[in-house]
Amino acid sequence: MGNGANSGGRTRNVVFRIKRCDGPGKPSRWEAFRVPVEPNANVISCLNWIAAHPVTMDGRPTTPVVWDSNCLEEVCGACTMVINGRVRQSCSCLIDEYAPNDGDTITLEPMSKFPVVRDLWVDRQRLFEGLKKVKAWAPIDGTYSLGDGPRESPAQQHVRYALSTCMSCGCCLEACPQYLKEEDASKWDTAFVGAAIISQARLFNEHPTGAILKDDRLDALLGVGGINDCGNAQNCVRVCPKDIPLTESIAAIGRAATIHGFKRFFRGA
Amino acid sequence: MTSTNQRVIIVGGGLAGLAAAIRVAEAGLPVDLFSMVPVKRSHSVCAQGGINACNEVARQQGYSEYQHFDETIYGGDFLADQGPVLEMANWAPKIIDLLDRMGVPFNRTAEGRRDLRLFGGSLFKRTHFSGATTGQQLLYALDEQVRRFEAEGKVSKYEFWEFLRPILVGQGDQRRCVGIVAQDMRTMQIRPFRADAVVMATGGCGLIFGKSTNSVICTGGAASRCYQAGAWYGNAEMIQVHPTAIPGADKCRLMSESARGEGGRVWVPRKKGDTRRPKDIPENERWYFLEERYPAYGNLVPRDIATREIFDVCVNEGMGIDGQNMVYLDLTHKDPDYLTEKLGGIMEIYEKFVGVDPRYEPMKIFPSVHYSMGGLWTTFTPGAYQPAEPAGKHEPGMIPPVGTEVGQGMAYGAPNNMMTNIAGLYAFGEVNFAYHGATRLGANALLSCIFDGLFNGVSVVNYVREGVPSTQPAESLEAACFDEASSAEQAKYDGLLATVGTNERDEKFNPYVIAREMGEEMTAASTVVKTGPRLEQCLAKLAELRERYARVQLSDSAGWTNQSLSFARAVGDMLILAEVIAKAGLLREESRGSHKRLDFPDRDDERFGKASVAEFDPATGEHRIFWRDVQTNLVKPRPRTYGKVESDQKGKQEPVGSAG
Amino acid sequence: MTDGQGFLQRHYHLLRRLHSLAGVVPIGAFMIIHLTTNSSVVWGALNGRAHIAESAAGRGIETFQHEVHFINNLPLLLLTEIGVLWLPIAFHAILGVAFALTGSNNVSRYGYQGNKRYALQRLTGYIGFLFIVYHVATLRWGWSFLTPAGTTWSHYYAASTLAAALKGAAGQWSVAGVIVSIGYFIGVSALVFHFANGLWTAAITWGLTISQAAQRRWGYVCSCVGAVLMLAGWSALAGFLFVADYDEAVQIEERMVEQMYGHEYLLELKEKFADRPEIGRSAVRQAATRPYPGPAPLIEE
Repeated sequence: MGNGANSGGRTRNVVFRIKRCDGPGKPSRWEAFRVPVEPNANVISCLNWIAAHPVTMDGRPTTPVVWDSNCLEEVCGACTMVINGRVRQSCSCLIDEYAPNDGDTITLEPMSKFPVVRDLWVDRQRLFEGLKKVKAWAPIDGTYSLGDGPRESPAQQHVRYALSTCMSCGCCLEACPQYLKEEDASKWDTAFVGAAIISQARLFNEHPTGAILKDDRLDALLGVGGINDCGNAQNCVRVCPKDIPLTESIAAIGRAATIHGFKRFFRGA
Repeated sequence: MTSTNQRVIIVGGGLAGLAAAIRVAEAGLPVDLFSMVPVKRSHSVCAQGGINACNEVARQQGYSEYQHFDETIYGGDFLADQGPVLEMANWAPKIIDLLDRMGVPFNRTAEGRRDLRLFGGSLFKRTHFSGATTGQQLLYALDEQVRRFEAEGKVSKYEFWEFLRPILVGQGDQRRCVGIVAQDMRTMQIRPFRADAVVMATGGCGLIFGKSTNSVICTGGAASRCYQAGAWYGNAEMIQVHPTAIPGADKCRLMSESARGEGGRVWVPRKKGDTRRPKDIPENERWYFLEERYPAYGNLVPRDIATREIFDVCVNEGMGIDGQNMVYLDLTHKDPDYLTEKLGGIMEIYEKFVGVDPRYEPMKIFPSVHYSMGGLWTTFTPGAYQPAEPAGKHEPGMIPPVGTEVGQGMAYGAPNNMMTNIAGLYAFGEVNFAYHGATRLGANALLSCIFDGLFNGVSVVNYVREGVPSTQPAESLEAACFDEASSAEQAKYDGLLATVGTNERDEKFNPYVIAREMGEEMTAASTVVKTGPRLEQCLAKLAELRERYARVQLSDSAGWTNQSLSFARAVGDMLILAEVIAKAGLLREESRGSHKRLDFPDRDDERFGKASVAEFDPATGEHRIFWRDVQTNLVKPRPRTYGKVESDQKGKQEPVGSAG
Repeated sequence: MTDGQGFLQRHYHLLRRLHSLAGVVPIGAFMIIHLTTNSSVVWGALNGRAHIAESAAGRGIETFQHEVHFINNLPLLLLTEIGVLWLPIAFHAILGVAFALTGSNNVSRYGYQGNKRYALQRLTGYIGFLFIVYHVATLRWGWSFLTPAGTTWSHYYAASTLAAALKGAAGQWSVAGVIVSIGYFIGVSALVFHFANGLWTAAITWGLTISQAAQRRWGYVCSCVGAVLMLAGWSALAGFLFVADYDEAVQIEERMVEQMYGHEYLLELKEKFADRPEIGRSAVRQAATRPYPGPAPLIEE
């Protein structure tokens, strides 16, 4: 609804400087676009405008900018990019906040820690591989009717719910000085998994059924690229759009790893 | 005889697709899962409020699975086939248990049990929830289970692959679906995939209306492609407009019904053009029009009713805030901590996208297109419960006429359950027209999606193992039909690419402009209220757009990650589906649920107690719409009023069983 | 994969945790002792048991010298040094550099305080390690050519040789001395920061502090520890640079040697260190050729 509601009075323009790249291995370039600002505009609505009017500021026709997005409500995590030097979701990035005046500039870049597919679209598959690595699931006995799940206190639910709102957007990884771009998928296993994955490991360790795989998760996180690669810069928790207590997860997994490490040392695995 | 290399393709990785993948993979059939986005980013994440199921607390207050069924049928204005709905309501508690076992962080009571909230269309607390991001939480739980199967090699994911068409072989009764053509959205490679059954779980079509609460992939393109390949499309005109959304420049963001379930009140100032801040307007100068008009359900009337009332107040009476199309959704009388606990997710959305804290300032909302009850037409095998006489209204506390044993409403495992008119082609979730009739009740969508996947996933398995594919598996078929389908899509793709730079750029043929005009036209003509002449005008406009689309011009000739090509291709498919929606709306000369015809204000069971079914004629590009009877032998249709009173009556009843 | 990498893979957790542990104990613990000892050149002024020196500054020198004698008389000193200090420091440093190379700092984009500390932790690690190498090489291994006046360390002349090794010959400022002194200031500060911040991160690494509140509280504790150590380090440095009088220091040192080991030993010692250039040029050295004048007179204020 309200399609026609915003048609009135386009007065203000914003300049978008966008770092573009035609594909893997291709050079990057900057292009600038002048975009009229609608009321309640966000970066997405401006990118939509550019898609429909792919002409640069100096009047040169170009291709529409490619970017990844889906829900536009900051719950799917797709539209993450680097805006004015900081990583965030572009859907919740309001123009009135970022560029309040006529002619203000907003810069858009793809996330730097993931291989670029094209323009602002990056390949975050490594993140999902990380979820496999730590077996981020509850190992249930199939989908048959086997009664309800374990009971849980409201306090415990609060802890798990906060962790479970992670939408795998990758902000924490983009801002992490220990998380580096790795194009070679065969090296993902020993490259740092990052805060999101560590936090998911904690999420499932906190669940009675999930905890059955706790040792497996800790074993996976004790190796190279695991919990010990964290450098405690704590940027992750600062840039997390969902305010997930990532550093608490890291410390909690640190504690579990301490105990697990001792156990393993003395038991001799 | 079962071939060892049989496979099932599932298109769409939302709740329905993932639930189906789990069920099929669990049965030992390999699954190829296609999605335009990583499945964890599917549109199901946007669902907020919760998932309905009868539960012990409600049961002891007089509720039952049967009443859940009755509410759903009544809410859907008796347009849904009743058997599948009964089966779904009966299964709902099992689904909640399963999700609980998967680790969904449902909100908890002090004792550690699953908490419940009130939702639209019911007087009982029967909605399970996880904050105000229930859809996200359920999707993640299923995503995790699928990842587990993926790690075990039982599910192969094709993420960033776009479904282009189903591959069919045979004619008439022999026609069946044996695979799909899909395109890698990064490399742009187009290729066929073989499968013994294909499950469409591709969600809704909100983008046809321009701005909606839907995600950007919800174009309806996949459904339209199936429709153009011969699948029937049912009840297209039944589009749900959600009463409470935040209008934005790029989309309308949903403000969950749970806001009202947790006590949110909808109002406007009694004085027209009152410019005072909402806090400064005293209680007696506020008009709580929903509470006034619907004393029993108050703010929790079903969505179509709330939407029309808000629309009426704003558009017809001009009583919107500041004369604009906005009303207040007020939660400021609730404890801010309580709101954070129960509704944190949507409080945050409002705060982030509007910049105002709804805990202290009433939200400004307006209706927005939200859900398509219509979708690919599907069939089913009726269950064991076949009463001699359809039952009347089910009152709280009454003994249900039927138990909750499996198979009462729909035969468990019957291969044709939720199969389209094309053998081997199934439709699950929002893209399936079943379950919701003419309006969906809040918190029934998550249920229907998961139910489809879990209950009817077994049907897919049985069809593959015992049906035609068991003797003629897709892998044994000649390559020709697959290559042919693939070549056709390749030609279409090449054709679109070739439009780049052919002429001066003309706005008329810009796919984004065409899409915007379609959205504006469809929203204006075919949403909250409709009339015959307006719909005819809409069809004329759509015809014009289709002509313009025939000369569409793209601006990107790249053979790599060509996003605008993908969008432009979808626009063509959306236009076709838009025509179906408008045409079915024109032909349904009655008002029912979400479909409100001003020129036909009453429900007409005699002529239209039937599903509209559209069939595409590939030769002419025209739509043939016919009507099919709806199964109504379980509950007798009755007027759907939700106890509306005239505006001079006052007083609000306490909802029954609101404790717990 | 080479065996080295395999070893790293298999024992990664152990190595990382040993790295963390080594930073706290023994290295951190030693640093506390070391800075406490060194700063005694200042706080020693309050030492009531100092009886040789007459001035407050002198009491500091005496206290410091006393501590140094105590440490140097510990049994198996070299073995302890190697086992408890040099090996752990080498281990901590080599692994630390290897780990630090796996990161890439991005403070310019994300200028959060925590991120700055992350970057500083690595920077101070590098600086600190270079400083330690210089410090140990010049004052322990006798690489006197690296000191401003070619001073060779003697624990009998701890305060005065330190002053000379920092400032220049006979404790007089030289250009090289200014550079070395600034270097010491930076080095000591870096190491103290590195330790205090490392203490804070170690609590997260080991999982002692989990909640953000706990991390904040522990942060206050670590800040206090850091502040106290920083004060100790700076005051020690200031003590040797600005407070301790070189000649007075030599006098006190020699009298302490005399008291502890006898006059003969002192003479031997002086003979052995006769070629120490900075002593040769010093007024005390010249005075030493004259008969011992007895205790200096008390100064009435």
